[in-house]
Parts: sequence; structure tokens; C-alpha cells
Amino acid sequence: MNGTRISPNGLRMAALLLFIAIYTAYAAGPFVWVAMMSLRTTTEIAADPYALPWPLHFDKFVSAWTDSNYDAYFFNSVGIVLTAVVILTVIGGMAAHCFARYRFRFKGLIYFIIFSTIIFPPQVTVIGLFQIMVDYGLYNSRIGLVLVYVSIQLPITIYILESFFARIPGDLFDAARIDGYSEWEIFWKISLPVALPAISTTVILNTILLWNEFLYAVVLITDDDKRTLPLGVLRFMGDQLEDVGMIATGLMIAIVPVVLIYVFFSERLIQGMTAGAVK
Amino acid sequence: MAVPKDMNVPAIKVAKVPPSGERDDHANPRSAIAMFLLPALLVYAAFTALPVARTLYNSTHLVVPNRPPEWVGFTHYIELWTDTIFWKAVWNTLTWAAVAPILEVSVATLLALALYAKVPFSRFLRVAWFTPVLMSYVVVGILWMWIYNYDWGALNTMLRAVGLGDWASPWLGHPDTALPSLIAVTTWMWTGFNMVVILAAMSSLPTEVLEAAELDNCGWFGKLWFVILPLIRPTLLNLVVLSFIGKMKIFDLVWVTTQGNPLWATETVSTYVYKRAFQWSTFDLGYPSTIAVIWFFIVMAGVLGLTLLFRQREKLEY
Repeated sequence: MNGTRISPNGLRMAALLLFIAIYTAYAAGPFVWVAMMSLRTTTEIAADPYALPWPLHFDKFVSAWTDSNYDAYFFNSVGIVLTAVVILTVIGGMAAHCFARYRFRFKGLIYFIIFSTIIFPPQVTVIGLFQIMVDYGLYNSRIGLVLVYVSIQLPITIYILESFFARIPGDLFDAARIDGYSEWEIFWKISLPVALPAISTTVILNTILLWNEFLYAVVLITDDDKRTLPLGVLRFMGDQLEDVGMIATGLMIAIVPVVLIYVFFSERLIQGMTAGAVK
Repeated sequence: MAVPKDMNVPAIKVAKVPPSGERDDHANPRSAIAMFLLPALLVYAAFTALPVARTLYNSTHLVVPNRPPEWVGFTHYIELWTDTIFWKAVWNTLTWAAVAPILEVSVATLLALALYAKVPFSRFLRVAWFTPVLMSYVVVGILWMWIYNYDWGALNTMLRAVGLGDWASPWLGHPDTALPSLIAVTTWMWTGFNMVVILAAMSSLPTEVLEAAELDNCGWFGKLWFVILPLIRPTLLNLVVLSFIGKMKIFDLVWVTTQGNPLWATETVSTYVYKRAFQWSTFDLGYPSTIAVIWFFIVMAGVLGLTLLFRQREKLEY
């Protein structure tokens, strides 16, 4: 009696665990594989693509970094992404503060126009953007790419920050006004500090998305020494074509910063990535 | 384009509704509003609105370097009508945008249920499943090209290991398997993301409702089908729309892996626009702009259609 009652349950649990195990292998397996290959030489990989990495060839990371232009790509990405994120946070924060705090005419319409660009397919901007950047003299320039990055992430940044700013109690602002704070000081000394959780969410979200951005970079950047990391990785693959071990190392260099951010800020990152999905 | 600036002009006038008696002007100072809004509006006008206007303008012109654009009317639009590669690309992209959301959201719901049922290591599993979405499509593309490699790729190696060696194939090299293989990659990337959103929605369900279902002797399937799924429906529909929008844009993955090959089997609208604008030596930016404009309206219609469809169903059910 007892046995017959437990076994369907046990069976169901086993099926569930099997499903989970298979999915986990599918989700994480590719990373484990590329991490192992990044520490093995191509000759070792050719002999057996799935063997454990032993001995560990950490020197491959050094040669990937120094022998190609990898350090330039990496620091280009760091510089462009960080600059864009700082500008985004300030400009987006200011606009979000304005939408959340003040009443003015056509507020809803302006907000809708900015927000609706989230669903625009990028094709509709990319060709015109290419021509305009050539006209402005910003084509093939890192500053140009920064400005484009600011513009593509602006709507989602305003959206996330606005919903947070709107929840700050208005009394706080009235008190600040009575204390003689200017509107500008209220923004810097009250809105921004109070909204720090939401701001860190947008900072992490924008950092990851822009770190991975490819389409605008490939259209707007042509010089090798201005390339960002995704373009660099692709270029690296073109150069090393058959050198699978070396490409795997190159991939790991692009993956590691993202994984580090993820390890330290996983909750906030998940929050940021999913902020647009839950309404 | 001047639209956002024009929008801003009336904002400088007096606010429509006085929020707090006679002190409305003090609470909503025009100069502060303009100061806070202006940088964002300028960036928006210069790098979003203006390019869109320029693309619209291009679509009725022949735009060749070192020559002023030449008005050609709707020639591009007519040419588009008979462009078989374009229609192939539309078909591929629509297939992707129809299949991927269903796959992602349904698998994600199953995974979320597994974690909701409190299986061991759920925190670790959540993190592991979410990771793929954080990777650049360039990294993901190269990685999956190896997995699909005919000689030593992980997929064929596994098939051979379990005795299904006959099924081994050059997954990205064959016109019949290339698109499904790429759809599997986007599913791999996005399912974990969808799972996290669904799990959050499930966790915020009111416990009283679930307890009531249990009191009514509702089986786990009944509980899932009649209680949990209807309650998280808005989230699921949101995710479907979001995934649809994402797939209608898809470019990076195709560009890194197949560039639309073999035989246009994986050509998407984005890759075709890119090829026509920056790669083929036609040097005309007008025609790809036309594709972009048409595609813009198709995406809008799709999003609108989905939203209306889901609203309609909601009305019918309640």
C-alpha cells in the first residue's frame, strides 16, 4: 500500500530531476566546454575536444592578450561603455526625475514618443544614423559610438528610473524646498541618492547590454584600433581561423568580465534585465 | 528633426492643471523642467528621430555617394514587391518570431514550475539557466558554430556516442537544418530569462488562492491549469510580445554564424538590409531604407496585432 503510493510520486520526482539535469547541461554545458578549451592548446583539442584541461595553459591568455590587438579592443570597450553609462545615468536620471516630479503639458505624449522607440527595429535607424554620423564627422569615432549608445539605451533607462522616482514620497521634496534647495540640488542631493538601488540596476543593465552590443559598432567603426570587444573577437576569429584553442581563450576574455559582474551583482542584474518584462 | 523640440515648447507655458492651488508655478518651474528634459530630448532628436526621418526620406530616393539624392518616387517599393530574397528573409524572420516565443515561454514555464516546486539547488539552477542571456551574440555564435561542427562538434559527438551517428549532419551547412539550429540557439539564450520573470510572477501569487485550490482537492495539474497559469497570463503574454520583438530584430547571431547562408536559408530582414546597405556594391542606401521602412510597419502591425489579440481573448474569457 505504502509502496504503491510512493512510487508514482518518486517517479514524478525522478522525471522532474531528469528534465532539470538535461536542461542544466544544455544551458551550462557550452560554457564549461569553452572554459576547458580556453586552457588547452589546439593540438590537445584536436586529439580529443572533450578531455579535461591538463596541464593548464594559462599562458594562452597572456599570448591572446599581447599578440593580437586584444588589449586595445578590451580598453576601447571599457572606455566606451563606461562613458556611455555615466552619461546615460545623468541624462536619463534628469529626464526621469522630470517625468516623475513635475506636471507639464504633453508630458504623456513626450514620454510615449521616447518609450515607443523600444520596439523600433534597429534597421529603421541604422542607415540614417550612418549617413548622419558621416555628416557630423562622428563616423568611425569612439565619441560617436558613445552618443549612439546613449540614445539606444535612453528609453529603458528613463522607464526604469521614472517608475522608481515616482515612488519617492513628495514630502521629501517639499521639505527640501522649504530648506531652500534649488531644483537642481533636489535632483542631485535627494532624488539620486534615494534612488540608488534603481540607479545601480540601470547601470549594471546598461553595462552588460552595451558591452555585448554589435550592430551599431560594426556599422559605425572601421579602424582596427577603435574596435570594441565583440568586433575584436570576430576579427580575432577571422585571423586565427583554425586555431580553435586560441579562439576559445579569446572568447573567455570576453566572457570573464560579464561573469564577474554577474557573480557580484546577480540579484540586481536579474532585476535589471527583467525590469522591462514585468509591468 | 524638430518634433521633440516643438513638443517641448508648450511645456514652457503654464501647466494645464494647477496641482496645489496658487503655488503651481512654484512647484512646476518651467526653467527646471526644460533643464532636466533638454539633454535627453536633444540626444533623442539627434540620434533617434533624425535617423528615422532620414531613412524615411531615403526610401523614396536613390542615395549614391558623392551625388545628391535623386527622387525616384515609389520605385524601390515596387522593386521590393518582386524581390524574392526579401520575401525569403521575411519568411525566415517571421518563422523565427513565431516559433521562438512559443518555445521559450513554454519551456520557461516548465522550468519555473520546477523551481516553484522547490527542487534542491534551486538558487544555483536559477543562476546557471539565466547565464546565457548575458553573453554577447558574437561569443554565443562562435560557441554554437563549434557545437554544430560536423566533425568534432558536441551535437554530432553526442549523437555518435548514443549510436545515432546517421543523424549527424552539418547543422548550419544544410538549408533544411540551418534555421531550426539557429532558433535552438536563441531558445538556449532566452529561456532562462523568461523563466526568471515567470518565477517572479509565480512567487508573488496570493497564497490564499493556492491554499483554497488545495482545500478543494485540486490535483497539481488542476492547480497549474486552472489557478496558476490564468493568474500569470499577463506576464506570459508580455514575454511573448517581448520575445517576438526581439526576434524581429535579429541580426548579430546570423551575422556571426551563417551570414544568411546556405542558399538564403537563414537570411533575416536585418542581415539583408545590412548586406544591401553596406556590403553589396550597389552603393545605394535608398533601397535598403525602403526595406527598413516596410519592416518597421510590419513589426508595428505585429505588435499591435498581438496586443489586440490578447486583449480580445481576455474580454471573451471574463
